[in-house]
Amino acid sequence: MPSIIELKNVCKSFGDTEVLHNVDLSIEEGEVVVIIGPSGSGKSTLLRGINCLEMISSGELIVDGIRIPAEQGRIRQIRLEVGMVFQQFNLFPHMTALENVAFGPRKARNMAKAEAADIARNLLAKVGLAEFENKLPGQLSGGQQQRVAIARALAVNPKVLLFDEPTSALDPEMIGEVLDVMKSIAKDSGMTMVVVTHEMGFAAQVGNRLIFMDDGRIVEEGKPSEVMKNPQSERLKDFLGHVRHH
Amino acid sequence: MDFEFSVIVESLPALLAGAKLTWIITILGIVGGMIFGILAGLGRIAGTEALGEKPHGIFMSISVLIRYISSAYVETVRGTPIIVQAMFLYFAFPMLVKAVTDIERFRIEALTAAVITIIVNAGAYIAEIVRGSVVSVNKGLLEAGMSLGISRFQLIVHIIGPIAFRRMIPPLGNQFIISLKDTSLFIVIGVGELTRQGQEIMASNFRALEIWLAVAVIYLIMTTVLSMSLRHLERRMKIF
Repeated sequence: MPSIIELKNVCKSFGDTEVLHNVDLSIEEGEVVVIIGPSGSGKSTLLRGINCLEMISSGELIVDGIRIPAEQGRIRQIRLEVGMVFQQFNLFPHMTALENVAFGPRKARNMAKAEAADIARNLLAKVGLAEFENKLPGQLSGGQQQRVAIARALAVNPKVLLFDEPTSALDPEMIGEVLDVMKSIAKDSGMTMVVVTHEMGFAAQVGNRLIFMDDGRIVEEGKPSEVMKNPQSERLKDFLGHVRHH
Repeated sequence: MDFEFSVIVESLPALLAGAKLTWIITILGIVGGMIFGILAGLGRIAGTEALGEKPHGIFMSISVLIRYISSAYVETVRGTPIIVQAMFLYFAFPMLVKAVTDIERFRIEALTAAVITIIVNAGAYIAEIVRGSVVSVNKGLLEAGMSLGISRFQLIVHIIGPIAFRRMIPPLGNQFIISLKDTSLFIVIGVGELTRQGQEIMASNFRALEIWLAVAVIYLIMTTVLSMSLRHLERRMKIF
């Protein structure tokens, strides 16, 4: 399998603080990679670096053959191939669920309105929200909003989906519905997924690889069940003792 | 003290002609002021993260230049009284033109000067309203837009614009009403707007009570129309 995302010796600093130290990572097409780690470990920055919401400070990032920083002018192309789901959903508040999902195909992929609406309807049905297409985000629950956000990210037909703590802002009873949607995407579509989460159950069930980050470095990685069963470092042992199991 | 209602009735045609002029100056002024305000408001935050990604190289330099020009405009206009701006434009500007060019008979019509003054003056205040509203748009929404792979132009037109515009409506209502009332200052350059009409009628019949009461009520009606239309717009654009 060719790798669709490659990080070579990537560093990222905010001012004087370096949050990613020489990260090397290669993700293959179709892989589901789960990243865990304590807050401030750099996992969100790593994720946001992949679609250039954060620009890497040094090293090289290759996404779908596009090299950053060499090809900085092609960032939009990277983003068309790399969708993102945010912790706070970030649905456009002035658009209905359908408009939110149809927006990407329509504006980023230049599709006709009817065609974009068809895609949006199919995706809303897929995430179980067909009957909510005319609701505004403010009229939906957190779990429903996040499912719309997943549909929105899928609508531009990306090769990779990034999830930045997609269930962390949700009430406990809504976490399941969002994880179910994510699981079905992983199983049905063979989508490459990079997921920052604390949901260890999800990692064990659908993850092909688990990465533990601490202090801006990848400390351990491997098959999720093995990494969880036999943590090598004290830091991971300590961390696993603190996360909840679903 | 005697109050003659007939005085009001008699002077009403002249007052309404003044009101019509006031209305025309106001509408042209706020339409032009919106254009100036949006350009200068966006100009003041050009090249910052409030409008998506920071540009690179030459584009960043251009952004900084635009930022300086916009700020100079806003600060100059906010820092000087509107009456001075009107008199400068009407009396001083033609002399300036004569001094630096060969144009001998350069003149600005009083009405034109009035409209330009409102456009330039309201534009500076609207620029600050635009800037404040755009900056207040949640950064997460910009990131969501960018992560879909849309252009900066699309981001501004489809995401930042509509969300910021809803927040602008209440302060815009304020500014529109202020601009309408500011037209009364053009009495100093001889524009026959409502206040000037009232002044002229009063000077001939000395019925201060009737005339100024009528003038005040007509202003109140016009400002009420403005604020009610904005209220209506605000309700229509409500987000849950």
